[in-house]
Amino acid sequence: MSWIKVCAASDVPKNTCHKVWVEGISVLVVNYGEGFRVMPPICPHMEEPLEESGVVANCVLTCTKHLWAWDLRTLEMDGSETEKPLKTYDVKEENGDVYAFIEGEIVYEFDDEDDMDDDSFFTNA
Amino acid sequence: MKIKLETKSGVFTYTGDCSEPILFSGLSAGLSLPYECATGTCGSCRARVMDGSVEMAWPEAPGAAKLKRDKGDVLMCQARANSDCVLRVPANVTQATDLSAAPKWRVARIAAARQLTADVIHFDLTLSSPMTFKAGQFAVVETPDVLGGRAYSMVNYVEGTNELSFVVKRKPGGGFSEWLFANELVGKELKIFGPLGAATFGPEDQKDFIGIAGGSGIAGIMSILERATLTEHFRKHKGYIFFGVRTLADGFYVKELADYVDKAQGALEVTLALSDEAPASPTHPEFPQVRLDGGFVHEAAKRAMEGRYGDNAMGYVAGPPPMVDGALRLLLTEARLPPQSIRYDKFA
Ligand SMILES: Cc1cc2nc3c(=O)[nH]c(=O)nc-3n(C[C@H](O)[C@H](O)[C@H](O)COP(=O)(O)OP(=O)(O)OC[C@H]3O[C@@H](n4cnc5c(N)ncnc54)[C@H](O)[C@@H]3O)c2cc1C
Ligand code: FES
Ligand code: FES
Repeated sequence: MSWIKVCAASDVPKNTCHKVWVEGISVLVVNYGEGFRVMPPICPHMEEPLEESGVVANCVLTCTKHLWAWDLRTLEMDGSETEKPLKTYDVKEENGDVYAFIEGEIVYEFDDEDDMDDDSFFTNA
Repeated sequence: MKIKLETKSGVFTYTGDCSEPILFSGLSAGLSLPYECATGTCGSCRARVMDGSVEMAWPEAPGAAKLKRDKGDVLMCQARANSDCVLRVPANVTQATDLSAAPKWRVARIAAARQLTADVIHFDLTLSSPMTFKAGQFAVVETPDVLGGRAYSMVNYVEGTNELSFVVKRKPGGGFSEWLFANELVGKELKIFGPLGAATFGPEDQKDFIGIAGGSGIAGIMSILERATLTEHFRKHKGYIFFGVRTLADGFYVKELADYVDKAQGALEVTLALSDEAPASPTHPEFPQVRLDGGFVHEAAKRAMEGRYGDNAMGYVAGPPPMVDGALRLLLTEARLPPQSIRYDKFA
C-alpha cells in the first residue's frame, strides 16, 4: 500500500475527529486546526474509542477517560498523566483531500507490552 | 509475605500482609502505585503476576473485564498475596521516604449520621488515630456486613484529624449504600484505608477554582471549599461551583454552600442545577446566595461561564462517569484548560 485518500478535508471540521474505514482498516482522522493527523482509532492507554473519548482543543488531543493527552503539532506527550506516545500514519493534504501513508494497520501492543515482557528495562532503570 | 514489584522505574521489595490488597500494602509502604478507584471498577491498577500465588478477592470486578487472565494479569486493588510473589507493574513508580502521610488502615466508629434528602445520608466517623489528608481525597471504607470496600470522599477538612465526614447517595440494590440506610449506624465499627486520590486542591494551587459535581460528587468540593476558606483563597482568586441534582428537594449542603458564598465576599458563585424540574426562581428560595438553573450540570456550567473563564483556572470534576466525561469535555473545549489543570474523580 502507499498514500491512500482517507477523506475530504471538509469532512472533518476543525477540532473534531472522525472514524473512517480505508481498505479494511479503521482509522481516526483528527483536524486540529493547523493540520490533520490520522491514527488508530483507540486510546493507547486503555483502548477507549477515541472518536467518543477524544477531545481536540489548543492543538492537543485529550482522552476524557483519564486525561492522557498529546500535542498534535509535535506528537509529544502532554499533560501530567500520559505515559505512552501516540502512533500515527504519515499524512498529507492535497487538493482538499486528506491522504495517509498506510502500509498495514498500526496497532498498540496492549497484550505483550514491551514494558511487560522485556526484561531489560527493569535492570537498567 | 515478601512482595517484589518490577516497575518501569525500578524494582521494589516490601513485606505485605496476605489479608490486604497488594495495592494497599504497596501504598502503605510508600510506593506510588497506579490506581484510580481502589475498588475494582476502573482497571488502572493492572499488574502481571510473574511468580507466586496471588488471588483476586473479587474476580468479577468490572475493572477486570479487559485483563489478560491467562497471562497472569490482576487488579492490584483486588489481589491478595498467598505466598512470596513477584509482580510487574507497567508504570513509573517512586518510593516515598517519609511514610507519615502514607495511606494505612485505621479502625473507625460511626459517631453520628443524618439523612439529608430522600436518598442522601451524611455520617461522621471517629478514627482510631488521626489522619492527614488533602482536600478532595477519599478513603475506602469496609464493614464486615458487606463484601468489599467502597470509596468515599471526605466532606470535611481539618489538618490531622480523627473526625471524618462523608456523604453517600443511596444506590438502589447497592451493598454499602443500602446498608447505611437500613441500619442504626451510631456506634458501628468500620475499617477505613486512606487517604487516597490525587484530585485535590490546596493553597499550592494559586488559581481560580471551577468545580462541577453531580450528586454526591459535591463531597470533595465541600472539603476543598472548607480548606480554601481557611486559607483565604477567595481573597485572591475566584470560585465557581456547579452542583447538579434532580430537583430542588434533592439539594443538600445548601446552607453550608451559602455560608461559603458569604465568607468569600463576592468571589465565590454557587449554582444548583436541577436536571428534572425547571427552577421556579433564579435563586434558591431559602438561600438566595445560591443560584438556580435547569438542565444537566455541565450545561448549566457552560451557560454561566461563557466568556468568563479567566486564564488561570483549575477545574475539578466529581460524580457519575457520564457526567464527569461531559464536564471534562467542557473544561477542555470551552474553558480551554490544559489537561494538567483538570482533576477529577469518577464515582463508578
Ligand atoms: C474515588 C471515588 C470516590 C467516591 N466518592 C463517593 C462519595 O463521596 N459519595 C458517594 O455516594 N459515592 C462515592 N463513590 C461511589 C461509591 O464508592 C460506591 O460505588 C457507591 O456508593 C455505590 O456503592 P454500593 O455498595 O451501594 O453499590 P454496589 O453496587 O454494591 O457496589 C459498588 C462498588 O462497590 C465495589 N464492590 C461491589 N461488590 C464488591 C465485592 N464483592 N468486592 C469488592 N468490591 C465490591 C465496587 O467498586 C463497585 O463498583 C466514589 C467512588 C470513587 C471511585
Ligand atoms: S483510556 Fe484514554 S486516557 Fe485512559
Ligand atoms: S484502582 Fe483497581 S480497578 Fe480501579
